[in-house]
Amino acid sequence: MKKTLILSVLIVMAFVFACKQTDKKQKQGIVVLSPEIAEIICALDAEDEITGITAECNYPPSLKDKKVVGSFSKINLESILALNPKYIFCSSLEQEGMASDLRNLGFQVEVIYPESISEMLAAIERIGILLDRKDEAMNLVSRLSRELEAIKQNSRGKAHPKVYLEIYRNPLMSVSDASFIGELIETAGGDNIFPTLERDYARVNPEAVISANPDIMICYSQDTLENIINRKGWQNIPAIKNRRIYFERDINPDIIQRATPRCVEGMKVLANIFASWQNEQ
Amino acid sequence: MKKKVILILWLLIGLGVIAIYLTVGEPNKNIIIQVRIPRLLLTLFTGMALAGIGSIYQLMLANPLAEPYILGISSGSAFGSILLGISGLVVLMPLGGFIGACFTMLLVWKLAHQKGRFDKSRLLIAGVIAGMFFSAGISLIMYLYQKDTALILGTLMGNLGHIFTSSEWVFFLILLVVSFAILIYLYFKSTAIDILSGGDLYAASLGINVLALRRQIFILTSIVIGISVSYAGIIGFVGLIISHIVRYFVPSGQKKIYLLSLLSGGIFLLACDLVAKQLLAIELPVGIITAFIGCPFFMWLLLKKQS
Repeated sequence: MKKTLILSVLIVMAFVFACKQTDKKQKQGIVVLSPEIAEIICALDAEDEITGITAECNYPPSLKDKKVVGSFSKINLESILALNPKYIFCSSLEQEGMASDLRNLGFQVEVIYPESISEMLAAIERIGILLDRKDEAMNLVSRLSRELEAIKQNSRGKAHPKVYLEIYRNPLMSVSDASFIGELIETAGGDNIFPTLERDYARVNPEAVISANPDIMICYSQDTLENIINRKGWQNIPAIKNRRIYFERDINPDIIQRATPRCVEGMKVLANIFASWQNEQ
Repeated sequence: MKKKVILILWLLIGLGVIAIYLTVGEPNKNIIIQVRIPRLLLTLFTGMALAGIGSIYQLMLANPLAEPYILGISSGSAFGSILLGISGLVVLMPLGGFIGACFTMLLVWKLAHQKGRFDKSRLLIAGVIAGMFFSAGISLIMYLYQKDTALILGTLMGNLGHIFTSSEWVFFLILLVVSFAILIYLYFKSTAIDILSGGDLYAASLGINVLALRRQIFILTSIVIGISVSYAGIIGFVGLIISHIVRYFVPSGQKKIYLLSLLSGGIFLLACDLVAKQLLAIELPVGIITAFIGCPFFMWLLLKKQS
């Protein structure tokens, strides 16, 4: 009996000791689970501090050399533990559950999910403070604000084309103005045909698209030009009649769907698309 | 006399639902002809096919729980179309659905035979197993491709808003003609199915080629179900309950039951789709509406019968 007791105390102590050993290890580096934040961190010149990413973090391309700790929605907890990072940056949505798990394990988890341009600028500042890149963050924010102002200035007084953005074909889905991409369309001088929807990304009725008569269609639903122009009842939509249909090859979804500094480039591409429509009016 | 009045009333209700379906929300002519009528045809066809075939299966398999989806065809079909959908071939989804349906049909038919002999229970078990297998496949796809959840749910909960291209529409019309020809053919087999439900020996003694009839019905119904799931996804409940409700009013006579099931299934699904589109600002999956409207109604019928 006594022997067993001593033995178990020893085992417990061994465990405690072992745990302490790992705890003593210095936490360092950053694990980024969201592609948006990875872009922001790299824009702040802190790419070297990133030790782990998720499979979706594909920009800048140099990130491909970093260790992958899973995908956006399926994160491998053990690989994060092995990296023992100082900060973990994650997004909201399905990553929220994972965030609280990681917090319970004693990590510093920052949930950043900018849903608008202003929230993105705020996120840049916050990340700048956290990573000790305050100056870089201030510079980036002021540069982006300047460019944003120029884009707004440029669209002022011009006719706004009606824009239909299709993110899904079956069932048909589009975006509202409340979504990040919707805000970019409006800021760049377009008029989203679905200003309000039940959610930022929601199912829409094909009849509503036909009735709205959009001038420009951005198609991210992997449908082909041939199919779109042959959709029943869609022939009289100006965007389709005049072949103003733009695909992923025309405007990279990442630069308008992700809330990152690159969205300014995205808005410029959008503004160009709108300008070519305006020139023909 | 009274029965005829009810039938005429039912037909009038059907016409009324069609009229509302086409004109609600003041659409222009283009929308009515190019969008509403295709959707109307798809909905009517789906409702009719599910309810009619449901009534046949319940009789033929001597199982009140049998429905068009019980033989796994729907899951196989949904799996096929989802597989093509997530590979980016959204336009080819109906084709994938049809291939999935045919494959499942052959598999289940093969499994239903033991040493060359057909077995009713084996058919049911094979169907359920095949259905479970493909459902697991769909769950796996859903887990791995979360960004395509909308597409997968659209197929699993029914999506009557299929967007046709012009060429696809012609193709669909051909399929529709074939399907209706099959449904009409099945009508003329009603008496034989009725006799078949009395047992194989009995049917054979009356000169019916039991094996051939069963194979024929199985293949023909599978084709129709495959077409329906390919375009409209899986819409639960219609195939199970409509024929039960019809049987409540017409206890026997497969000919009448089948015909009324076709009619009621079409009207019922049309009404449900109308509700699904109009109830909230966002369109609801029609499969949810069919269950929400149909189940309480059926419970009420059951209670009424008790008292």
